[in-house]
Amino acid sequence: MIRTGSERGRGRRQASRWLDPRGRHLGTWAFVANRLTGLGLVAYLYLHLVILSTLLRGPEAWDGLVRLFRNPVFLAFDVLLVLGLAFHGFNGLRVALVGSGLLVDRHNAVLAAAGILVGLVSLVAAVRIFFG
Amino acid sequence: MATQLHQDFSGATRWRRRPRPTFAWLAQTVTGVLLLVLLTVHMVAQHLVVEGGLRTYDQVIAWIRNPVVLVVEALLLVCVTWHGIAGVHAVLLDLGLRGRTERIVARILGDVAVATVLYGLWLLYRIAFRG
Repeated sequence: MIRTGSERGRGRRQASRWLDPRGRHLGTWAFVANRLTGLGLVAYLYLHLVILSTLLRGPEAWDGLVRLFRNPVFLAFDVLLVLGLAFHGFNGLRVALVGSGLLVDRHNAVLAAAGILVGLVSLVAAVRIFFG
Repeated sequence: MATQLHQDFSGATRWRRRPRPTFAWLAQTVTGVLLLVLLTVHMVAQHLVVEGGLRTYDQVIAWIRNPVVLVVEALLLVCVTWHGIAGVHAVLLDLGLRGRTERIVARILGDVAVATVLYGLWLLYRIAFRG
């Protein structure tokens, strides 16, 4: 780590870093969030299979469900689902890249890129889901 | 293996190369990367480009009969089941599951994974050819 600047500036920076959630703390949060989104997505996988099984009960049953799922409550759930998928996907890619020894010296940039991509994908999905 | 998997994750933030990746870590990474591709294709083709986000019954049947779609969905099913069940296993190991109980739970998880893939494939077949 490179330390530059006056003692005063350094002290202030260290104090702010103590409160700063980045660095090792953010890695811990990402680890916990990865597990939680993962478990949530496994639960959704089985919910998805149950819902898709409605296709076996014919057109009326399925098309009724399709109408129900256009309710804003379900649309909000869809946005949450995309957010969970995007986070788990991009954070997972980040862990895979850095864990394989790739881009290790650029890990902060990879983390920032993953965060930006999660935000962008979720935002676009939310706009598309609610406003067509 | 629990510590190994934990190190795989926390190692990514401590920027330390693992000397020897485990099979579990490799499989989780490979299925994860495949899922990024397959799930993106799935979300775009099944929802993003569809008017209203969901296909009606007739549209679903017509769409799923496309052999390319059928293959993509089948591959997605295998990858997502492996990745999900292996993930649950990793969480349980991290929570301290060991010994005989761990072996029984791992066996059950394996059976659940096989059952999930078989049910999903049967569902795809039924929808595509008996719909």
